[in-house]
Amino acid sequence: MSDKPRKVGIISCSGEAIPGGTISRVACRKVLDELRPGKSVTICLPLFIAGGEEERMFADLFPTITVDGCEKRCAALGTERLSGQPTKTLIVTEILKERGIPPTTRLRNLGPEEKAAVQVVAEEIAAAIDEILATE
Amino acid sequence: MDKTDKKVAVFACSGIGKPLGSVAREIGYELTERVRPDTTVLTCLALLVINDPDARKLITENPVIAIDGCVLDCAKKSLEANGAKSVKAYQSIDFFKKHSHLKPEGIAELNEAGKELAALAADELAGVVDELLAEEAKNV
Amino acid sequence: MPEFLETTHDKFIFKVKTGYLYTEDDYWVDIQGAIATVGVTDYLQKSGGDVAFVEPVAQGKSVKRGEELGEIETIKVTLNLISPVTGRIIEVNRELEAHPELINSDPYGAGWICRIELADPLGTKEGLLQAEAYMEIMKVKIEREAG
Repeated sequence: MSDKPRKVGIISCSGEAIPGGTISRVACRKVLDELRPGKSVTICLPLFIAGGEEERMFADLFPTITVDGCEKRCAALGTERLSGQPTKTLIVTEILKERGIPPTTRLRNLGPEEKAAVQVVAEEIAAAIDEILATE
Repeated sequence: MDKTDKKVAVFACSGIGKPLGSVAREIGYELTERVRPDTTVLTCLALLVINDPDARKLITENPVIAIDGCVLDCAKKSLEANGAKSVKAYQSIDFFKKHSHLKPEGIAELNEAGKELAALAADELAGVVDELLAEEAKNV
Repeated sequence: MPEFLETTHDKFIFKVKTGYLYTEDDYWVDIQGAIATVGVTDYLQKSGGDVAFVEPVAQGKSVKRGEELGEIETIKVTLNLISPVTGRIIEVNRELEAHPELINSDPYGAGWICRIELADPLGTKEGLLQAEAYMEIMKVKIEREAG
């Protein structure tokens, strides 16, 4: 087995029609770009569904975290169907509820409330990555 | 003039790996929030993965516009695989070719050039929305 | 011999076609007799991004190795194409005008850029890299970009 550092694949629902989808998308990019740059890889859900070779290969070989905008859990269920159970599943609406943060309302042009929600969700994803890599 | 109660269902790929995916998403918002808010509806592409019944009904009973970021055509492929009635498909990169001075950057947050490109693209798609609904009205 | 050598970094699979020759700056060359077909590698197309426009130099023009072969404009950058060989351009890939994305989707096949009649076919081969050697150079570049 390779002795390279392990990485975790993050799959965002990126749901366009719900505020949680935007929070999920931006939070996942924040983790990739700022919080855990060498330890995470984003897997593009539409490409994953459409049969993208690289997305499917990564999801088959590496642990995955799905981040859904709402309780419909499209990313989690899609990943399960196409690749197997994700290592961890997160739902934006649940994370915000647990922290006592009101649900966000904007789909784009994020305001201070949305940015604060992004930070909270991103930190949750980062913590999940750390937990997974600690046990790999 | 014949009218229809139908709306055009708009789906964007929202690819998270490239700015073109963010442009596609932004085009979806511009089209459904600013350009044709009363005659379009933006729906989560990911709902098709879970066979959401409302999403399936929407795409089988209404005309559909798919906005993909690039030539991989992920949204178009998903829609067609799920039995979409008729899909008019577009790619952000084609709009970029027409307005190549507007280089989109950023994925989590699109730059001003990307937003301007999306706005222009949505303006161009307004006519497509109107044509699709005019066609629906003829068939009523 | 497999059709491609492959290396993976994160989720990205980088391919190098066997049987072609390469330059260190990421061009491939397929030499058949005195004719070389030229294109950019999978690594270059991935780093460059989605191709929107291709402007090759004119058919009939003579180029030396290292001279400009045209231009590719992607979403990210404008790349000057540099000729990996010396000779006269006898054909350019007209498909790329309408379908520049072929460089991304099939860089070693339908995404070829031009065909060049070589000034010195034997000498040309000696100056180019085998696929395995290019693979090692490419791996170093990938690791360096990853930081």
